[in-house]
Amino acid sequence: MPETSNNNLGTQSVTLFATCMIDQMAPTVGESTVEVLEHLGLQVKFVDQQTCCGQPAFNSGFRSESLPVAQRFLELFEAVDGPIIVPSGSCAAMVRNFYTDLFRHDQDLVERARTLSERLYEFTEFIDHFFGSDAIAGSCDDRVTYHKCCHLLREIGIDEQPLEMLSNIDGLEMTPMNRADVCCGFGGAFSVKMPDISSAILEEKLDNIEATKANRVVAGDIGCIYQIEGGLRRRGSTTRVLHLAEILSESIRNRKTGKATE
Amino acid sequence: MADKVSFIKQVTKALGRTKITRPKDNYDTAIFEDRNLARANAAQAVADANSMAANLIDQMVQSADDAGWKVHRADNYEESAELIVGICKDHNAKSVLRSAHSVLTDIPIDRALAASGTVLEVTEHSSQSSNRHIEKSKAAAFNADVGITGVDYAIAETGTVVLHPRAGVSRLVSLAPPTHIAVLRPGDVLASLDELFAIQRDDFLNGKLQGSMNLISGPSKTADIEGTTVTGIHGPLEVHLIVIENNKY
Amino acid sequence: MKPLTINFRSKAAQTIGDEQVQNSLEHVYTGFYQGRINAAADTPNWEELRTKGKAIKDHTIAHLDHYLDMFSEKVEQSGGTVFFADNAEEARQYITELAKDRDIETVIKSKSMVSEEMSLAENMNDSGFETIETDLGEYIIQLAGETPYHLIAPAVHKSRKDVAELLDKDFEDGDRVPDATELTMLAREQLRDVFARADMSVTGVNFAVAESGSITLVTNEGNGRMSTSVPRIHVAVMGMEKIVPSIQDLSTMLRILIRSATGQRISTYVTMVNGPKTPDEEEGPDEFHVVIMNNGRLKLLKDPLLRESLNCIRCGACLNACPVYRKVGGHAYGWVYPGPIGAIVTPVITGLKDATNLPAASSLCGACHEACPVKINIPRMLLELRHKTAEGLSDPDERTSKFVERAIWKTWRIGMMGRGRFDWGARLAYLFMRPFSINGWIRKAPPPISGWTVSRDFPLIAGRSLKSRLNHRHKKEI
Repeated sequence: MPETSNNNLGTQSVTLFATCMIDQMAPTVGESTVEVLEHLGLQVKFVDQQTCCGQPAFNSGFRSESLPVAQRFLELFEAVDGPIIVPSGSCAAMVRNFYTDLFRHDQDLVERARTLSERLYEFTEFIDHFFGSDAIAGSCDDRVTYHKCCHLLREIGIDEQPLEMLSNIDGLEMTPMNRADVCCGFGGAFSVKMPDISSAILEEKLDNIEATKANRVVAGDIGCIYQIEGGLRRRGSTTRVLHLAEILSESIRNRKTGKATE
Repeated sequence: MADKVSFIKQVTKALGRTKITRPKDNYDTAIFEDRNLARANAAQAVADANSMAANLIDQMVQSADDAGWKVHRADNYEESAELIVGICKDHNAKSVLRSAHSVLTDIPIDRALAASGTVLEVTEHSSQSSNRHIEKSKAAAFNADVGITGVDYAIAETGTVVLHPRAGVSRLVSLAPPTHIAVLRPGDVLASLDELFAIQRDDFLNGKLQGSMNLISGPSKTADIEGTTVTGIHGPLEVHLIVIENNKY
Repeated sequence: MKPLTINFRSKAAQTIGDEQVQNSLEHVYTGFYQGRINAAADTPNWEELRTKGKAIKDHTIAHLDHYLDMFSEKVEQSGGTVFFADNAEEARQYITELAKDRDIETVIKSKSMVSEEMSLAENMNDSGFETIETDLGEYIIQLAGETPYHLIAPAVHKSRKDVAELLDKDFEDGDRVPDATELTMLAREQLRDVFARADMSVTGVNFAVAESGSITLVTNEGNGRMSTSVPRIHVAVMGMEKIVPSIQDLSTMLRILIRSATGQRISTYVTMVNGPKTPDEEEGPDEFHVVIMNNGRLKLLKDPLLRESLNCIRCGACLNACPVYRKVGGHAYGWVYPGPIGAIVTPVITGLKDATNLPAASSLCGACHEACPVKINIPRMLLELRHKTAEGLSDPDERTSKFVERAIWKTWRIGMMGRGRFDWGARLAYLFMRPFSINGWIRKAPPPISGWTVSRDFPLIAGRSLKSRLNHRHKKEI
């Protein structure tokens, strides 16, 4: 049963852009995203042909390789109507903020990207904007902390909203992370091209996480999640990292299960 | 070998043009504000400094304190002179240099310092100064224990004393001695940097811009060693602000 | 200064492993970075000031020829002399010839990054002029024979013991290390004598004002003021982009510069010089020279996308915010300007070929853009430079990407251009990687991702894509 009305959205149906990493590496995050959106009363469409927005090649400077992939993304999602939901700050930012530079030699593509961007939302942003940060009232008995992924924070502008959503979960103890807004060191290909710098930055993040004594870390981008969890595991830590969509869907399921047993 | 014309031509070329073009009016920068507006801004700044003097002095006392000035409020001229003598005594000052600001003749500082046995020199200038005289003045500045000045302006926003070096106000009197005392009175304090630069701009547009200007906001300091702040690296280690509440004895 | 950008990786690795320097770099965050955050929070119209500062600089750079013309004319009208230098060599030559011609013996230097571009102190000392850095941080590194580590705090990497060894010839290992105050007083004593006898000074310029031909110096120590009070000749050196149009613009620019650099509301001293000393003054320079330098800045100006880097007011906020700078330190960048702004200007000015690591050494976190008082979009320019190195935009010599990397991205593109091959490629990766994994995580990955597993576990790709999973749930097909 959806908790809040979505009557300022104007539609019951949204389309998911999974992102290449979630699609192939972390599909459970995609499933959680779908669960949360369905819980809010939405029908979630999936474009079978989707692959990638083109960001990895663009960030490495290979725009000639990125361009056709980005163009393909544009064509696929122009063919669907309504809001497009992206459970990734960096991929949403690629389309909304960086397609202009990628397509700059073709004004038509720039325009099309701009038009599509108007109905493309990052996952947290979408829920906060149309449903409110108190829209999901689940339950979860745990102690967690939150890492502010850089693109979600600085390119999309989502700062405190995930914290508000998390604090709305019954039984969830939030411990603030020192320097939560400092990068984890992932940076895409940077993490393997300059691994010593990437790891040195990560070490500081891991120290700050361990200081929170949280059982789990919540974050909004899968790249950061892998960087952080990979580092924690290497340290022998049992602290795990999960996507905001995952903990939200978990809390919804817990609440449902709780009701079922009453 | 670069000459002005060819250098600037290259800049024009890099900007994608063939010749220097005057920019259209742009009100983000103040350069397009006409001289009447500049005059009005400057006049307002000075008027406010007088009409809001008490308020601005209170703000100045707070911000000067924040900036590291040792602030002393004096009721009148006599008290100011006594405070200054006290500071000089505390520092065992043998030699004191002062500027020729009018406030320093209004307050009986010469008499008071002479009475306390301190050598006082006034930084008068003569445009006919010989090199020997210049060297002697410089040595005096480096050897003085205390330097005393009035202020040309003060800025409440930042706790700043503004000095324009000129005849009677040397560059070194507020810099070389390890202690600097600045004396300020009602009407000296401007609200913020906006007002100061409004006055400077107006002066400039009227051909009256002074040769140089020093904004002084506390004792000299550095944090170059392990990020630890230390006062008194090249300029004064201690700066005192004497605030005269009333222009009377 | 000779660029050593080619040593970036090794210098970075060395610094990461240096515990003492890492502790010093922590001050950059807790001191400067936190200082700016606090100052911004204390300034109600902070965002407006940033917007205005950006607008002032955008306008100035867009009309740089006009304002350079105005500025130089005004300086000369006030009795100053302007020298336009195409490169560091010309600038250095002008200053050295001047010193020679005027029988200068002792030169004092106030902080100037532009003077580092021409290695001025080193060269003038070699030419026989006693040339001493007077900013405490610069003095320390001059004694150490090093280059600046940070835009604002050149000796940030030095410990008190390091400084004691440099300032005190008699200091020995095992002696009590003097505290910062004692060391500072020692430096004060040493430099006071130098000030008293200096006959020429060379300073930088924080802001040059076009309408009046003025220059402003922002300092905390007082060496800038000494430099404009004692010597008979004052030379101010500036990058050609350091101009603002109006005197009134200074209130905005000073507010954003100083709060962003150190978190102070204002620096201890702000000095405005409008020409040589006036006829009624005894003290002050008889001669005022301004050296305006290009030294490669035209390359930045020429490119409409990189032009914004010339808005930089050299506050250091981007360095303080940068997680990479705070690990690799200033020397790794190999030239005068470290940190995010250095990662842009250094490659363009000194050559992209040797400096390719600089734009690559970033996680694109955007903290620099957020920190910049004039909102320079550094990540955007880093991406532009990466594009140049990867695909050699206009100049094939700019391209430094290796065949292997180009092949990887070509393969990536092919794999992303169809869902079938995307799934097929992922399936292959899964089958290939699974033997390396335990419970879904890999401890040692093969190239090209072997770098990851030096310090982190790597996740095994999923066996089934999201598409495949959703096909088993209810979904609407497109």
